[in-house]
Amino acid sequence: MIVRTLLAAIVAGLIAGVFMTGAQELRVTPLILHAEQFEGEAPATTEQPTGQPGAAQPAAEGHDQHSSLKAVSPLGAVLDALSPITPAYAHEGEHEEGGIMFGLSRFSGTLMANLVTGSGFGLLLAGVSLVIGYPITLRNGALWGACGWLAVHMLPAIGLPPELPGFPAAELGDRQAWWLATAALSAVGLYLVVLREEIVAKVVGLALIAAPHVYGAPQPLDISSNVPAVLGAEFAVAALATTLAFWIVLGVVSGFVNERFAKAN
Amino acid sequence: MATSTISSTPLSLSDRLTAGVIALLIGAFLVFGAGLANSAVLHDTAHDTRHSYGFPCH
Repeated sequence: MIVRTLLAAIVAGLIAGVFMTGAQELRVTPLILHAEQFEGEAPATTEQPTGQPGAAQPAAEGHDQHSSLKAVSPLGAVLDALSPITPAYAHEGEHEEGGIMFGLSRFSGTLMANLVTGSGFGLLLAGVSLVIGYPITLRNGALWGACGWLAVHMLPAIGLPPELPGFPAAELGDRQAWWLATAALSAVGLYLVVLREEIVAKVVGLALIAAPHVYGAPQPLDISSNVPAVLGAEFAVAALATTLAFWIVLGVVSGFVNERFAKAN
Repeated sequence: MATSTISSTPLSLSDRLTAGVIALLIGAFLVFGAGLANSAVLHDTAHDTRHSYGFPCH
């Protein structure tokens, strides 16, 4: 019975992952590829004649280039030159051995990652539902999905908006820690606000949701970037819209599978 | 909401909690591996996924 419940969650996640892969190809992936064209131009060592007007403030371009991507810029530039990684991944300067698992194409790698991520989120959603005792059904699945999106994407995005390759960012570990803490606090806060009746619980829930933003997300010291701001704005909206669609599909399919598959003994 | 709580919970309480905790652990492991793990191969494979889900990335 337990296995059947877990399998139902995984099946829902796999379906949502396939959907996500298709949805990404519409808008998000083209924007990532577009941004990567600018990303390669960033360090001063690879000076290219095509200066991007409007990409960054002209005054900032002169002296900020070294720190515009990463603090490891000199080392990164050397590794980039020696690296077998395709230019699309050249920003991963600190790892010289990389590349896509099993020699998959970029698209297959993304599909596989979406399947794994989808299953993971499907299991997390099912796990929360099981632990707090509110089943996901076909009727409330979309709301479950919307709450998952709020907790994992929308609320953390207030502090750390979805980034394009080449965007300036603070230390990776700090951002991941803040992101994890924010997603967890948002999930608990949403539970208290949405599913608990007591006024005190709702107030505490709102406080939990607000707490990481009051604390503040880790921000980069230098916000200049060669990637045009318009791309970033388009990408942030596209990424959030795509993940919202993913979560609603995940929630609805989870509800459907729960009712049809997990319940049948 | 209240009726569906009762009618569509086929598991006993302890089974439900066991399944829930297992689901949370496996789910967290999968999401961590695809989204956050600091491995070059995992990063490159999941690169576009990480960006489009808004995971903090490089």
